[in-house]
Amino acid sequence: MDLSLTEEQEMLKAAVRRFVDTEYPKETLLELAATGQNAPSEPWSKLAATGWLGIVIPTEYGGEGGSFTDAGVLFEELGRGPVPGPHLSSAALGALTILEAGTEEQKRSLLPDVAAGRRTISLAITEADYQWDESDVQAIAAPDGDGYRISGTKVYVYDAAAATDIICAVRTENRQHVGLALIPADAPGVSIRKLEGFAWNLAEVRLDGVQIGQSAVLSGRAMPGSSPFSGGWLALEQAVATAIPLLCAYQVGGSQQVYEMSVEYSRTRIQFGTPIGRFQRVQDHIINLVNELDSARWTTYEALWKLDTEREAADSVHLAKTVSSAAYYNACNHAHEVHAGVGSTTEYGLTLHTTASRTLYQFLGDPKFHRRRLADALGL
Amino acid sequence: MDFEPRYTAEQEAFRTEVQEWLHENIPAGIEHPADSIDLTYEQYQLRRDLGRRLGEKGWLWPTAPEEYGGGGLTVDHSVVLEEEIDGYNLSLPPYYDSGGRLGGNSILVWGSEEQKQEFLPKIFKGEIRTWQLLTEPEAGSDLANAKTSARRDGDDYVINGQKVYVGSAHGSDYMWTITCTDPEGDRHHNLSWFMVPSDLPGISVFPMDLLSSAGESGAGSGVKNIVYFDNVRVPARNLIGGENEGWKVATTHLELEHGTGGKIGRNWIVDRIFEYCKTNNRRGEPLSKDVDVRERLIDIYIDAEIGRLFQLRNYWMRHSGAHITYEGPQASYFRKQSGLRIATGILDILGPAALTKDSQWGAGEGHIEAHQRAAIIALHPGGTTDIQKVIMSRRIGIGRQQRERAGALA
Repeated sequence: MDLSLTEEQEMLKAAVRRFVDTEYPKETLLELAATGQNAPSEPWSKLAATGWLGIVIPTEYGGEGGSFTDAGVLFEELGRGPVPGPHLSSAALGALTILEAGTEEQKRSLLPDVAAGRRTISLAITEADYQWDESDVQAIAAPDGDGYRISGTKVYVYDAAAATDIICAVRTENRQHVGLALIPADAPGVSIRKLEGFAWNLAEVRLDGVQIGQSAVLSGRAMPGSSPFSGGWLALEQAVATAIPLLCAYQVGGSQQVYEMSVEYSRTRIQFGTPIGRFQRVQDHIINLVNELDSARWTTYEALWKLDTEREAADSVHLAKTVSSAAYYNACNHAHEVHAGVGSTTEYGLTLHTTASRTLYQFLGDPKFHRRRLADALGL
Repeated sequence: MDFEPRYTAEQEAFRTEVQEWLHENIPAGIEHPADSIDLTYEQYQLRRDLGRRLGEKGWLWPTAPEEYGGGGLTVDHSVVLEEEIDGYNLSLPPYYDSGGRLGGNSILVWGSEEQKQEFLPKIFKGEIRTWQLLTEPEAGSDLANAKTSARRDGDDYVINGQKVYVGSAHGSDYMWTITCTDPEGDRHHNLSWFMVPSDLPGISVFPMDLLSSAGESGAGSGVKNIVYFDNVRVPARNLIGGENEGWKVATTHLELEHGTGGKIGRNWIVDRIFEYCKTNNRRGEPLSKDVDVRERLIDIYIDAEIGRLFQLRNYWMRHSGAHITYEGPQASYFRKQSGLRIATGILDILGPAALTKDSQWGAGEGHIEAHQRAAIIALHPGGTTDIQKVIMSRRIGIGRQQRERAGALA
């Protein structure tokens, strides 16, 4: 047993922290939040130049071939920013989906670009029913000449506005298979509309007769003689299951940052002639916060360890997402109680996390969804 | 990272040795009553006998220093020992020995060489069983307010006072006791610890009638007592850590009591309720298929998993020498709070069957009923949940001007 990071992981952690401090200072994060222009952007180009976007991609496909725990360390530090996407969408979920669902040829042509940040991926899975479930997928891929014509409406798509390519979950015309199609974000018939409001980087993606060729179908899991879309959903589920702990690590990093902000504020904010941290009512918030943080941290890293050691990880993955989503959400709530008025000002920076915590709470399934899956995984 | 103990070939060989030894030496007829208050004197003696035999092997306190009668083994070996004895539903030591567990470590840190030679081998070899005596009627959460007095008189100290909620059933050999040696002295500079032989004249023990006797981790306690000291003469050489130096000794003692030790293991009540819900039907279906029951079971599971990971983390931190701050009281706080939530979840699932040990209408052969009571009592031993939060705040660095450091451990 050894719950410490390796020396290399500690070095990675320190390097990412330095990078985030330098390239994503609070002023930059606030500007990106205001404009919504996360990628392409100058700091994003620098992030791509580090090679970290290829952390889960094997070296043979131009990536770094890191372990899941290595990637967890990266995403935890990005979460401290919170550095806006599309890193989770592209470098984690997108890369893992191509790895699971792509043919050898697709992996060779797509993954080096994803690793280098030349291509950024967003996953368009959910529709109006918003279930993270196969039955939710109603967008149709109809045969059209040598390829397909795709029509449907994807909603609550994370990071779509920053993507060069969108992997869409689509249903075959005979409704028998749900598979995956890679669609350029600027293809004719694609329209992306940001969903304004509290949510972070969500969009509607309308597909209006978008034409794709056979090579755009991620058909690596298709049965010989069956539709190229067959096996796509299963591959996606497996990719999602491995991407979730990375999303959780990001939530851990966000919670860690919110905790440190709250401790610092409670040590320096004077009211009634004393630092407010001396008040046990305030201490209660900090303690609730650190308990949430550590719950998320250890469930997440245990899930990452199980993935790295090829153990059965379903229970740990659902547990980690359930706990981490609630933890980041609650951590921000407790932080707002500590910070009161100051925390509600945009310039202070806490609201960046609050916004992220709400959006990521539901991304790839909310706690309610993962609790049900956890019960199944436990054989209840 | 590695969340599992790794077993070397040497450890596996050690495991085989342990398994064979336990098979030979675990006495026949060991029982595990649902309520520790039902543990008979004969059952207690079986456990003490086992303890002495483990002590001879150095396996009772496996990581304690060999020069003082401990096993001198590495944590790798103690993990194997703990896992194997856990397979018999027993622990190390296999009986309640709070004074040995916490006093032993405190003597290692603060005792003189002579005191280490005198007390530690008896503890580590299982020759004696020791209770810790801290709480008093006016010194609960405020332990520094202890009023039990120890007055120097020649080569002795004379102790007078009262300790409450202490010990267990079937007596003790020593009492590890905090006293006040300077009633006029400054707070935190007027306390002293003694190892008091339990058979000295003037000591009397009265069992208390409580909602539950369990509620502490480790071997069930059986009963809690009031101990009176009436002009008890204790030799001055039994004073540990120096006169009026008792608070620094207490920091070591309390660090362990507040959960910094950590442990590896599962939550047996969770296993029991899961098994019960999978194997008992309501309206023709297993309870675990009921939507509401599943919700409660997942609540319970999440609490148990987080608690397990906190304990695992603390175990690793302690044995790897990592820098510990708030983690001990955090694990204690979480265990107490989540324990009560788990009890509520079980009550939600089972209804009145959780509240009776009736062999026909109660659930879980009395274990569930005992747990419903124990979860409430578990809120206070080793410091209330509020005290755990106070300590966490100091360690985080917000409770006081200076950030508090963790107590020294051996």
